[in-house]
Amino acid sequence: MDLSVQLAPNNKHGLLLSNPVIAASGTFGYGTEHAQVIDIQRLGAIICKGTTLNPRAGNPQPRLAETACGLLNSIGLDNIGVKALIEDKAPIWCQWHVPVLVNIAGESIEEYAVLAQMLEGVAGISGIEVNISCPNVTAGGMEFGVSAEAAAAVTAAVKRGNSLPIIVKLSPNVTDIVAIARVVVNAGADALSLINTPKGMAIDITKRRPILGGISGGLSGPAIKPIAIYMVYQVAQEVAVPIIGCGGIASADDALEFIMAGASAVQVGTAILGNPRAPLDVLEGLECFMEREGIGQLSQLIGAAT
Amino acid sequence: MKQIRAQIISSSEVIPGVYLLWAQAAEIAALSQPGQFVMVRCGEGYDLMLRRPLSIHGISQDGSKLALLFAVVGWGTRWLSQRRQGESIDLFGPLGRGFVIDPGSRNLLLLAGGIGIAPLIYLAERALAAGCSVRLALGAETASQIYPRYLLPEGVEPVIVTADGSVGERGLVTDLLPRFIDWADQIFACGPIPMYRTMAATELARPVQVLLEQVMGCGLGTCFGCRIETRQGMKFVCKDGPVFELRDVIWEEIKEPASREAVIL
Ligand SMILES: Cc1cc2nc3c(=O)[nH]c(=O)nc-3n(C[C@H](O)[C@H](O)[C@H](O)COP(=O)(O)OP(=O)(O)OC[C@H]3O[C@@H](n4cnc5c(N)ncnc54)[C@H](O)[C@@H]3O)c2cc1C
Ligand SMILES: Cc1cc2nc3c(=O)[nH]c(=O)nc-3n(C[C@H](O)[C@H](O)[C@H](O)COP(=O)(O)O)c2cc1C
Repeated sequence: MDLSVQLAPNNKHGLLLSNPVIAASGTFGYGTEHAQVIDIQRLGAIICKGTTLNPRAGNPQPRLAETACGLLNSIGLDNIGVKALIEDKAPIWCQWHVPVLVNIAGESIEEYAVLAQMLEGVAGISGIEVNISCPNVTAGGMEFGVSAEAAAAVTAAVKRGNSLPIIVKLSPNVTDIVAIARVVVNAGADALSLINTPKGMAIDITKRRPILGGISGGLSGPAIKPIAIYMVYQVAQEVAVPIIGCGGIASADDALEFIMAGASAVQVGTAILGNPRAPLDVLEGLECFMEREGIGQLSQLIGAAT
Repeated sequence: MKQIRAQIISSSEVIPGVYLLWAQAAEIAALSQPGQFVMVRCGEGYDLMLRRPLSIHGISQDGSKLALLFAVVGWGTRWLSQRRQGESIDLFGPLGRGFVIDPGSRNLLLLAGGIGIAPLIYLAERALAAGCSVRLALGAETASQIYPRYLLPEGVEPVIVTADGSVGERGLVTDLLPRFIDWADQIFACGPIPMYRTMAATELARPVQVLLEQVMGCGLGTCFGCRIETRQGMKFVCKDGPVFELRDVIWEEIKEPASREAVIL
């Protein structure tokens, strides 16, 4: 049975995963923490916490609020910064069999470009995932991901600065995700991740105030799965690069829905918080499904429902 | 740390709305320290995305069993309170950095505000075993909410305080500080955040460690959900805490976890 997937067929380094199950950014730290809990080497890949040029303090507490079958987060990109990542984390990743991708976030196009350049040639890093759901500080705080122009400019800047496979992670907070996907691919993205979190809010009715310190947050978990699947389905039919599905995946059934909608690989995020074994459960479930259905190659299932 | 399925040995309501649950959990209990916690999976299917952090309340003599003491305040704790002997629960732990008794300390003052007694019983047991004297100030709203005497470790000297004066002295646990401060070598506290604010506003000539609660996602330091700014820089409450030096926490900045119990229960 062959679960391997090539996520960057047009890139000189390529991005060949032994299986399609990836730990999503922001829910798996730097991979090192979970190494004591599960066999992380069995994962298809790990995407580290969103990393910025300088360390960031993030948003005020509370940063998490549960909602029905979902989770709102407003972490505010609290992270160690790219320098510490290169010095302290990459040397550990070098010794791993599992590929690690670095999720990057910037407040200006220039910042994305510098991040990409700094990560060029760093051993232990197999690719970059570009989080474009960040406020563009130089352009008035609107997210890069909601403007086709800004999304394309970020993609091109990262591409110029780094030869590794570049995956652009799309925001669902847009009117036409297909249009954004197209321009990002034209700007050189090797693959797309979708989706990042739709925005949401919860109110503390006792205090009559928003629960989250950051007021609004990103909604994740099973609550967003149908939204994500439909976006994957739409985009998969319009672009030629591999798509990594993400949003509410907690089981192999969920992963299969994404794959059949057109995803070549999947990310497990919020489900890891409740169940650190979730990505391995997804992987084992995929193997069972393929065995039962007599499927030799995972690629046979990609887009099966389209 | 381990993720295990732990069989419930017993569970009972020892205070109205507060449950004492014993589970078979050698892999976690044996490695644990007072002040550390476990993340408990609550609910079925996808109801609740996050585990619930609960302090380790005690371990059995042989290190094979672990006790939790929890107040029913919402969906997760209500679900947990309905679990019965023989059922299994999914535990992940032990997590965090617990209380540290300085080698030179002889007299320990423990301040428990309400359910804050949970981690302090385990600490008292360890401290007594190490030959320390332990004074335990137990505070609650009213008499029925006071941790039952029959559950107290032998050798602990309890001092009881209730807000309504229905048992013990009338007042707050923090009122006892002036009386015992000179006796104590070290102070350990667990209770609601306003209690810590009161303590922080008082000149205390002794080192104080407190157990801080914030909403947590992972318990491991991966999701950055519980990070706070301290006088020692940004810290994960789950991994660098939950026990902090009182003076290191910037109390003006600390938010209390939101409560939705009015709607839920
Ligand atoms: C390190 C640590 C140790 C704890 N030890 C104990 C203990 O031994 N006994 C005990 O009764 N309680 C303890 N708590 C508090 C306990 O975790 C909450 O009461 C519990 O999570 C509430 O869950 P719920 O589903 O019943 O409530 P809900 O209000 O439905 O929970 C909603 C969300 O808010 C979070 N939350 C609610 N209240 C708190 C709180 N006070 N602190 C942190 N998160 C909260 C929940 O985890 C959940 O994510 C501890 C908290 C922490 C951080
Ligand atoms: C606590 C938390 C932190 C996150 N941090 C990041 C991040 O730093 N960068 C990013 O691109 N996505 C981040 N995400 C989004 C996830 O990677 C994922 O896209 C989203 O949560 C949807 O997937 P899920 O439902 O499986 O969690 C975060 C999500 C959560 C819950």
